[in-house]
Amino acid sequence: MREIQLPLSQTQKVRLQKALEQLESLSTKVNSDASVIIADSIHVNHEDGVLKGHGTADLNGEVVATLCGVVERVNKLVYVRALRSRYKPEVGDIVIGRVVEVAQKRWRLEINYNQDAVLLLSSMNMPDGVQRRRTAVDELNMRCIFEENDVVCAEVRGFQHDGLHLQARSRKYGKLNRGQLLTVPPYLVKRQKQHFHHLEEFGIDLILGCNGFIWVGEHVEAKDDMIEDQVSQSDSQVLFPNKNCVSLEEQEKNYTILETRKYISRAANAVRVLSTLGFNITLEIIKGIIDLSLSMNLDIHDMLGSEFCVLVAEKEAERRSSMKKRR
Amino acid sequence: MAGKGGSTPATYSPSPTTDKKKPSLFNEDLARPDGRSFHQCRPAFFRTGAVNAASGSAYAEVGNTKVIVSVFGPRESKKAMMYSDIGRLNCNVSFTTFATPIRGQGSDHKEYSSMLHKALEGAIILETFPKTTVDVFALVLESSGSDLPVVISCASLALADAGIMMYDLVASVSVSCFNKNLVIDPVLEEENGQDGSLMITCMPSRYEITQLTVTGEWSTPKINEGMQLCLDACAKLAKIMRSCLKEAVSDSQE
Repeated sequence: MREIQLPLSQTQKVRLQKALEQLESLSTKVNSDASVIIADSIHVNHEDGVLKGHGTADLNGEVVATLCGVVERVNKLVYVRALRSRYKPEVGDIVIGRVVEVAQKRWRLEINYNQDAVLLLSSMNMPDGVQRRRTAVDELNMRCIFEENDVVCAEVRGFQHDGLHLQARSRKYGKLNRGQLLTVPPYLVKRQKQHFHHLEEFGIDLILGCNGFIWVGEHVEAKDDMIEDQVSQSDSQVLFPNKNCVSLEEQEKNYTILETRKYISRAANAVRVLSTLGFNITLEIIKGIIDLSLSMNLDIHDMLGSEFCVLVAEKEAERRSSMKKRR
Repeated sequence: MAGKGGSTPATYSPSPTTDKKKPSLFNEDLARPDGRSFHQCRPAFFRTGAVNAASGSAYAEVGNTKVIVSVFGPRESKKAMMYSDIGRLNCNVSFTTFATPIRGQGSDHKEYSSMLHKALEGAIILETFPKTTVDVFALVLESSGSDLPVVISCASLALADAGIMMYDLVASVSVSCFNKNLVIDPVLEEENGQDGSLMITCMPSRYEITQLTVTGEWSTPKINEGMQLCLDACAKLAKIMRSCLKEAVSDSQE
């Protein structure tokens, strides 16, 4: 049974074990012989001209594993797929990152990858939405857009000589405010057609970053791309907004109502439960967990309890078995 | 300072009769303080995934010596560091304030840190993560002798758990010398009274040694005997480590 760090009673242990066994029987069987650890020899037919891939090495004419994981074979290629590997970016991935440095014409973001990602000023839509060249003045005012520790959503643009490049050339990307950032193992977030989700019934936004960073926050209406500059405001006011002087209207705008905050916490706890159980994180499962907690009239903090985790595992086993029957 | 005329400076040399013998650590039936025989190791326990926040981690318990190791990375090297086409390994060994019998002595151990670095460096395939750094932080929770070998073995498990490419797991065992006796896996009392010590760090599957540390007086036959003892013990320790990893892999596969 998967080792889950939960204080379970004996009955809960039995129930959880039963649910996990049921899920295991439903999932496609993995060949246990294929799992290897470091320095295990991998059986190959040398006559076929084997290609040694990632996670393998040659020792006295024998192919040995240099990683703990599962041996995969694609035609002549033999490689080891690590079970606990770091996030490996692909072009087009939606990622969430935290700004670690404001550099010259660029921001550096921590995205749970081996190296920090780079978001260029030129790859970024300006806050006012106007399409224009980025001038020296824009460069001076980069901190007005993003500063250190800001959470940013972007898309992987490609790999350049100076690292991984991101872009945020759409209104759905940009700075994330008023919400919770959660970190889960990257392999729990599968690449899908849609990573931006709006849960209308709860009034919250959910962004599933491919890098294992998940954002749960208040729903924000995306503004139109082309917004005219207000003539009444002088250039200095536009470029250097006074952060200290905040009007009451602006304070009201930034205030998140209690009901929404509760839903954000529920969604966040649903993600935490899935991460604890090691289940793939998808919108429908998260919705199901929120609905389950609401139907049980469960307090938000009780969602992280052992009983609820066991219940979620049982419900997931039921859901998958019913899906299999339908097929 | 002028001495008295014609007087020679007095020197002290102990006479053989006044030289007191060291109190024997072992009783008559050649048993050690914890009841083991000379060539018997302490029971070992390993477990991976002890720290959730780390990329990989491991907990080790060998006798009363308890160690926890966290591995972070590979992550981008600091700006101050120059470009490197191979990865960097950064090791840090520290003791808790309650690790030793004397309270409040917990601190970073620079010597242990550099020895841990040397022991692991040969086993990690550094070419697989250029321009990045892997940080290994070891914390000794309870010190009961043979701390460094336990730290090294635990660190190699943590690296494997973090998915860092390695040629082989690293196992480490130390031997202490008492007159003519060789004692494997010494406890704190034995380490305090030893004539010399030998520590071997090896990759058991490859039968390669990544580090050999010898202190004190050793004759060549004694060193050979000590090395053989250590290598045999490393092979046994590696079996326990491998079974721990196998268990972790099969669990996460489920």
